[in-house]
Amino acid sequence: MNSKSETDEASRGSEASSSNNSSTPSNSKNQPPVGLCAGSGSNNPHIMKRAAARQLIERYFYQLLDGCGNPNCDNKYCASSGEARNLTPNEAAAEAIKLFYKEARLCDTLPNKVPRTEASTCDSSASATCTNSNVKGKSSVESKQSDSASCSVSPADNKKDKPETSHNLTHEDKENVIYDNGSTLTEERIYELCDECLQTKNPEPLIRALGEAFTQPTILSKCFQRKIIERDSGNKGEKKSDKESEAMCSSSDPDKDVDSVMGPGLDVASCQRALQYLTKVPSEYYSSAFVIALTTLAENIEIDLRITKNLSMDDIVYCFVIAFEVPDLGCSDYLEIALPAMCHAAQHLSVKAQAKLARLWGQHCKESLRHILETIQQLITLRVISTNYSRTFQVQDDDSVTMATKLMKIVYYANMLAGVMEPSSLREEPVVIASQLDPLGDALDHLYPLSSIKSFKEAQQEDPLAIELDVNVLDVRKPYLPFEEFYNEPLSDTIEMDIDLANCKTEVANGRKFSFLKYPFVLTAATKSLGLYYENRIRMFSERRVSLLHAVVGAAPPMPFLRLKVRRSHLIDDALVELEMIAMERALDLKKQLVVEFEGEQGVDEGGVSKEFFQLVVEQIFNADYGMFTHRADSQTVWFNPTSFETEAQFTLIGIVLGLAIYNNIILAVNFPMVVYRKLMGRKGSFEDLADWNLTLYNGLKDMLNYTGSDLEEVYYQTFRICYTDVFGSNIFHDLKENGDDIFVTQDNKQEFVELYADFLLNKSVETQFKAFRRGFAMVTDESQLGTLFRPEEVEMLVCGSKNFDFNELEKSTEYDGGYTPDSQTIKDFWSIVHSLSLEDKRKLLQFTTGSDRVPVGGLSHLKLVIARNGPDCDRLPAAHTCFNVLLLPEYDSKEKLQDRLMKAISYSKGFGLL
Amino acid sequence: MAATRRLQKELNDIRQSGLKSFRDIQVDESNILTWQGLIVPDNPPYNKGAFRIEINFPAEYPFKPPKISFKTKIYHPNIDEKGQVCLPIISAENWKPATKTDQVIQALVALVNDPEPEHPLRAELAEEFLKDRKKFTKNAEEFTKKHSEKRPTD
Repeated sequence: MNSKSETDEASRGSEASSSNNSSTPSNSKNQPPVGLCAGSGSNNPHIMKRAAARQLIERYFYQLLDGCGNPNCDNKYCASSGEARNLTPNEAAAEAIKLFYKEARLCDTLPNKVPRTEASTCDSSASATCTNSNVKGKSSVESKQSDSASCSVSPADNKKDKPETSHNLTHEDKENVIYDNGSTLTEERIYELCDECLQTKNPEPLIRALGEAFTQPTILSKCFQRKIIERDSGNKGEKKSDKESEAMCSSSDPDKDVDSVMGPGLDVASCQRALQYLTKVPSEYYSSAFVIALTTLAENIEIDLRITKNLSMDDIVYCFVIAFEVPDLGCSDYLEIALPAMCHAAQHLSVKAQAKLARLWGQHCKESLRHILETIQQLITLRVISTNYSRTFQVQDDDSVTMATKLMKIVYYANMLAGVMEPSSLREEPVVIASQLDPLGDALDHLYPLSSIKSFKEAQQEDPLAIELDVNVLDVRKPYLPFEEFYNEPLSDTIEMDIDLANCKTEVANGRKFSFLKYPFVLTAATKSLGLYYENRIRMFSERRVSLLHAVVGAAPPMPFLRLKVRRSHLIDDALVELEMIAMERALDLKKQLVVEFEGEQGVDEGGVSKEFFQLVVEQIFNADYGMFTHRADSQTVWFNPTSFETEAQFTLIGIVLGLAIYNNIILAVNFPMVVYRKLMGRKGSFEDLADWNLTLYNGLKDMLNYTGSDLEEVYYQTFRICYTDVFGSNIFHDLKENGDDIFVTQDNKQEFVELYADFLLNKSVETQFKAFRRGFAMVTDESQLGTLFRPEEVEMLVCGSKNFDFNELEKSTEYDGGYTPDSQTIKDFWSIVHSLSLEDKRKLLQFTTGSDRVPVGGLSHLKLVIARNGPDCDRLPAAHTCFNVLLLPEYDSKEKLQDRLMKAISYSKGFGLL
Repeated sequence: MAATRRLQKELNDIRQSGLKSFRDIQVDESNILTWQGLIVPDNPPYNKGAFRIEINFPAEYPFKPPKISFKTKIYHPNIDEKGQVCLPIISAENWKPATKTDQVIQALVALVNDPEPEHPLRAELAEEFLKDRKKFTKNAEEFTKKHSEKRPTD
């Protein structure tokens, strides 16, 4: 017990010295007092001031507790003078804040803090010999000595102590200290301390234990280790010292590796349990000290990452894992002080370390991810809302926001790893467009680099962390947390997209400016599309400028616009012929601003004419009679017609039209299933995509996959020959394998069957059409950041706009049956309820009555909803025949009852049956 | 045309088993995906006649459910004027590919014999069925006599 408390002191001493030495009293004293530790919420925007204030308070704190180290100290606020009362850390923290306000006297600190241990008599432990106090300092840095005498950082401090004392120690002493002092926390130790604290109402031992473990990365990274500690507690000897030093070095320790076969050396579950247990202790007992400890930890880590680089990558990553398991991290003081410090430290992590952290979080801390994410979101939101940004101080310049965003990226990847991933083999080869470069434009680029659009290509480098982890957002079938939870709306609303885009582009040049476009996950789709809009506009303007320069130089000026002249009567033919020519001759022109002219009409295209043009084109092309696409009634979507007579060029042109629509910011009324957008973004369709493509078929196949009986072969009697219906209604057979008709689907090959089936339907059968389509799309969008900024779901939103349901239209077209008329009270009530529903509930209602939440082409009026009276007032719920879009509504007495029943029905409508 | 092996097998099984309630199965050999047959209910008021139905199997059968429609007019709360019927066992949400067609037919026959007024396609018939069973039965019998086909004699 003795030796334990002394080593406590040692670690405390090193903290104190680190905070003392790194602060700059001359600056910070002049700052207005900021009550950070008191949690009074500061609105001082300058983080520097905060840090200074915090460090000052820390200095007071340690001075009160531990003293300045000068035996002859006469400062009454210093423990070394013997005049300060014996304080608990909590009291000391409160006192420190008071002193800070008073600007009380601070002792000069001695670089060597040996005598400070004398003051530790205020502790329960009586004896204090400097020999012991140095033991720990010595051993903790044993493996990383350096002859640097710098005392600016805590490890260095420990080193300083070392030469005086190490010769006093026997080898065995060292071992005793390490293993008996409990400086590394275990789950059991936390339980013990918490229970003790609850019984005695004295939080001091708990605070000391937390304080010493959570300030030193070297110690914290050894906390909550898997087994190692128990195994060693029995016998002490040579072996242990080996193990200890090796464990300090890195995870390459052979013994440790045995343990880490199952996972990391860190036992995350144990850590979680322990820290959860901590919440049983009233937080006011320890929280202020804990915040300080975590802050110091972050500083120590940062110093190590930036300067000393003594710690192994594993150790640092473990520290982050443990620190982010702290349950109170989202509470006020933690959020304002400790968390920004952690974020600050995290930005210095190497890519490898980030990857490791992401993997650890993704594999072992799934349950904590939401908490971590919410905490970071809270930090960003708090910062964004409480700060007034101006033209000179943008969000991009606000370190606490940008660093939190960087840390969020690690969580973002962890979240993908924790979710359902698909093999990267399903990625499709990128489309390479051999664009014909304009030679004169090329030359002009050198003269006038702003007009260069080629820099965008370089800007599209993949995120290094993604490469390290070999993760692509397209591989993610289902993330652990929905991607929407990463959106930060206050941030998205605050960002000036034009500035951000400018930052994004200059970043390529000098790598300094922060741009949120590199962290697209935090931005809402609306904000990102604004970014894309600016990017496109800039490119269009630079195209115009190039043509102006062409004119100046004397060359034949190319058109600054993409001009289409079409006849209304031959809209598609004209458009396709003209676009085809442009695509073949000068594909670059596709990136110019579109200007449409209807022959014989005087409308000048300032946006309106091209909008009409797109509407008309889409209406005709997707018309089933045109034969390029088929309508699939059960999912309200369109799909490529594999037996289309149209040439590939036609599909390329559709792709161009789709790209042009995005590029020119026009919303189209197309209803592609999601798999089209996934394929456009470079991902093959797979079995899971069938769920959106054709839910019934997906369910049927899924059912077979879930069938476990050994008689699958007899029950299903299915071979590798499948059948599908073409647009003309004839049935066509296709062998998924050679001689497919002779190969029966069995338990062993059912997975293969399903995959081949999906591959055929989604990829193979429409390969030519889709390839051409994608090529056309890429011709317009290949140089924009579309692919890096947006997920397929978001691209769909760009193309189709947000799904909005016009229920007024639905009301007009609805028919009534069984005695209802539009004037029935129940019907009137029904519509007034429906119109007041939230978008989400409207979606559910649509799902409930029609089995699909998609709007049919042409709008809700094409739905042909029938509301039928289902008897007089009763307690039954409304019901629906999804086959015929019939809603069965009993004639309820009151509007309230109708509302109640209706909401129940649509909220619990999973499943089917006759009631 | 051996691709729909399963349908061929089911058809043979049904023909061999000699279902009493489903007779006279006709399948166009060039298109095994469409069957016709006679439903022969046992319960009044429908036991006075037989009803022709058509079963349409999708190309993706059995991974997608078949559709059933009545070719003979019938006075029934769960079958509408066009002959459409909403049978839970073959609804897209409930369909299990392991379900065999004879089970579907049995479910259909059961529905014809015992209407489910709680989940009607023709609300006015359901109300009549619940409130005035006599009237309903009378109407249904007349309707059956007028429209239904002859029951097979054997």
